[in-house]
Amino acid sequence: MKTFWVLGSSLMIASAFAANEAPGTKNKEQAAEVYRPEAGKFPDLEKAHTYRGELVFVDHVNRRGSLRVLGVGVFRRNDPHPFAMLPYGSIRYHGAPADLRDIPLGTILHVTAYLPPDPKLSSVPVLPVDSKDRDANHYRGIGVFPAENHVLLLEDEPSYCQRMGLIWKLKGLDLEKPPGPILATLEPKQGGDSKATEQKLTFDHATRIWRGREALSIADLIAEGKKSLDGQSIQLGLTWKPCPDGIFLRLHISDIWLDDASMQRSAQNQAEVHKAFIRSRWMPAWVDSVEYGKFGKAKVTVTLFGGMDPALYADFQKANTARINAAENTLKHAGGSYGQAHLASRGPIADIVKSPGSPPLGSSGIQVVMETDLIIEGIRPGKVVRIHPGTWSAVDLPREEYLGESARLEDRFPSPAIFQKY
Amino acid sequence: MMFLVRCSWLKSFVVLGSLFLVVGSLDVSAFAANEEPRTKNPEQSDVPFRPENGKFPPLEKAASYRGELVFVDHATRRGSLRVEFKSEFFRSPPTPIALLPYGMVRYHGAPADLKDIPLGTILNIRAYLPPDPKNSSVVTSPSHYYPLPLENHAILIEDEPSLCLREGKTWKLKEVDMKNDQGLVIVTCESKDTAEAKSPEQKLTVDATTRFWRGRESLKLADLIAEGTWPASGKKSLGGQSVLLGLIWKPCPDGIFVRYHISDVWLDDPATQRAIRSQTEVHKSLIRSRWMPAFVDKVEYGKFGRAKVTVTLFGGMDPSLYADFKTAGQAAINGAEHTLKHTDGSYGPAHMASKGSILEVIKAPGVAPLGSSGIQVMMETDLIIEGIRPGRVVRIRAPDWPNVYIPREEYLGGGDDRFPSPKLFPIYR
Repeated sequence: MKTFWVLGSSLMIASAFAANEAPGTKNKEQAAEVYRPEAGKFPDLEKAHTYRGELVFVDHVNRRGSLRVLGVGVFRRNDPHPFAMLPYGSIRYHGAPADLRDIPLGTILHVTAYLPPDPKLSSVPVLPVDSKDRDANHYRGIGVFPAENHVLLLEDEPSYCQRMGLIWKLKGLDLEKPPGPILATLEPKQGGDSKATEQKLTFDHATRIWRGREALSIADLIAEGKKSLDGQSIQLGLTWKPCPDGIFLRLHISDIWLDDASMQRSAQNQAEVHKAFIRSRWMPAWVDSVEYGKFGKAKVTVTLFGGMDPALYADFQKANTARINAAENTLKHAGGSYGQAHLASRGPIADIVKSPGSPPLGSSGIQVVMETDLIIEGIRPGKVVRIHPGTWSAVDLPREEYLGESARLEDRFPSPAIFQKY
Repeated sequence: MMFLVRCSWLKSFVVLGSLFLVVGSLDVSAFAANEEPRTKNPEQSDVPFRPENGKFPPLEKAASYRGELVFVDHATRRGSLRVEFKSEFFRSPPTPIALLPYGMVRYHGAPADLKDIPLGTILNIRAYLPPDPKNSSVVTSPSHYYPLPLENHAILIEDEPSLCLREGKTWKLKEVDMKNDQGLVIVTCESKDTAEAKSPEQKLTVDATTRFWRGRESLKLADLIAEGTWPASGKKSLGGQSVLLGLIWKPCPDGIFVRYHISDVWLDDPATQRAIRSQTEVHKSLIRSRWMPAFVDKVEYGKFGRAKVTVTLFGGMDPSLYADFKTAGQAAINGAEHTLKHTDGSYGPAHMASKGSILEVIKAPGVAPLGSSGIQVMMETDLIIEGIRPGRVVRIRAPDWPNVYIPREEYLGGGDDRFPSPKLFPIYR
């Protein structure tokens, strides 16, 4: 696999906007025409719209939720804005792959998103395509309800900073005076930036501090005689709390990672959480091609979706017996309560093909070719599937993660109606 | 409703003043992992109890069950749980649950909001029927297909360490069997202080995702293996080490109905205390910005809109929050919904509030019922309004709390906000 970090180099060209900078800054090279991802193709990253927001609501089962999008106006007035993950959309938390359920409500997230691929089937409200350029009124400003609500990449602050090669530096921090505002700059890790814009953030006694294997509080640092963290290169986790004094927007520090060792430990822990998750829910993928044989036999080629831990891709080995199931665009299993293993089409892995060069974001660049004697409608070119390499445990999924036997329309195509209209 | 426990045996569960202290007999209720859920207590009443507005309900009438947190709508203080029942846990559909206005959430042994609790956490519930079914924000008959509780309005939601701390219980680690980076741990849940009959052994799982907390250290399984305290593979006795456990659920292989997974292990008391302090700070910050919820006990009307208002502060908060209410300080009070949402739109709680001096802070003698702090605040205002009538839910601000505006989803702005529809929750068949 070409690692996520290879992808990072291409992403770095696209979208770095710093805290307090106007969100949704338009890439000048971005094409003006309406762009929608197409089924069966990974979308063009350069056509994505980027913004930030606070995670307010999560429906992890349908891979959707709401964000309060950062704008130039009064942040608290911004209604939670629904978003949905694309089937190949990936989530990063603490610098590692994640599921929506892993991210605490209140976390500030960076979003790379597109218009709904198929507005008729969107699980979140569909907005006019120029919404990101409209003033939302009521002191909210422009860009807080972007129509680009189908997400390719959702990542928290440390994930974003690590991908972009950025670090935070604090200035004028007086540890003995929480919850006072402090100045912070976001700078390149290599080389620094004396012109980085200063931003005000807050911290308080709920702020967690990570140093090596230690989990500390502000009180611990004060007890050690530390009075400041000035000039130290750190990573920050950001949330939002209501601001006093009529301040439009000031973000709050939930976590401070004081060194690489502590950041790596957080990333390792999250990576383990996600590996266990994918091993029980199976690897999502797209069907690239099907070569039909006789009596229901076929050779199926799928591309595994990207953004996972390399160990998961390495579990797919030639000659192992794989299992494959149809899935929805929400990645829900389609086979009802009989269980994914019970209903799967099985067969040996005939080949593992790694594509040369850097795959597009969303793709792992890895194709798995498998044979099966049970080719079904859900395993056709362009369809989303879940595939099991043969070595993972077979478990039954909880009720909300599969479609019901009655195949209610709502299960298959979740309605946007659950999102409250403010 | 054959599995529900009503807690007549918990008569002694009390809140003393502002402290969340348990007094007296603690010999019941913690139904352990893998034990049959909602074991019936012989003393329980079979009639589900419906609380009345303006009164804290008797705890012994509460149903008791537990489940996995699957979905959260924290702004409306509701969510869904996968409730343990006598079948395969994975088949149990998420069942909606709402917090009563005075309902409390405890996480890591400290006060919490629903938004603080990670999805997947195993929670212990004390709940009643909806006080007013017509206005319930969750369905009033959760399922025709599964034996799920009708009592879905919670007075207490707590995670495993909170339950154990409240009931004076501890988990004992007996033995671990490691294989392929997965461990099967044999444990018992026992009372800390009192001698009791031997607790049944249970099996829980651990893996590389499990966090171990020791003093100020945050450790991984690999760290314990490197230290030699846990084996890399095979069986090892853990000597009955006393710990607190955080529990979650993951789908189980091999057709096991339910086996919980250990998300966190607090290896010593300092680590536990640090977790408590951290969560307490999170919740203190929340309440200071959202204000203290309370019931209006009485209103003594004066002239020209003046009145003396007496409220009872809801229970389960950190004592320092109650201590912020001091005689002669300037308080502010607003009407609130049963969801504890502010009612006054985008103008902001402070802008719309009725203000006035605190005349008296009264601590009730004896023990307060669960849900109440046992603390009354009497204040005088020149702006008595409809939302501040006896029996109503209000939010009251202590003198030195910050003056902030709250986010859009936390205040009313239209008709749908006032009576949230249960239609949010999918119906599983």
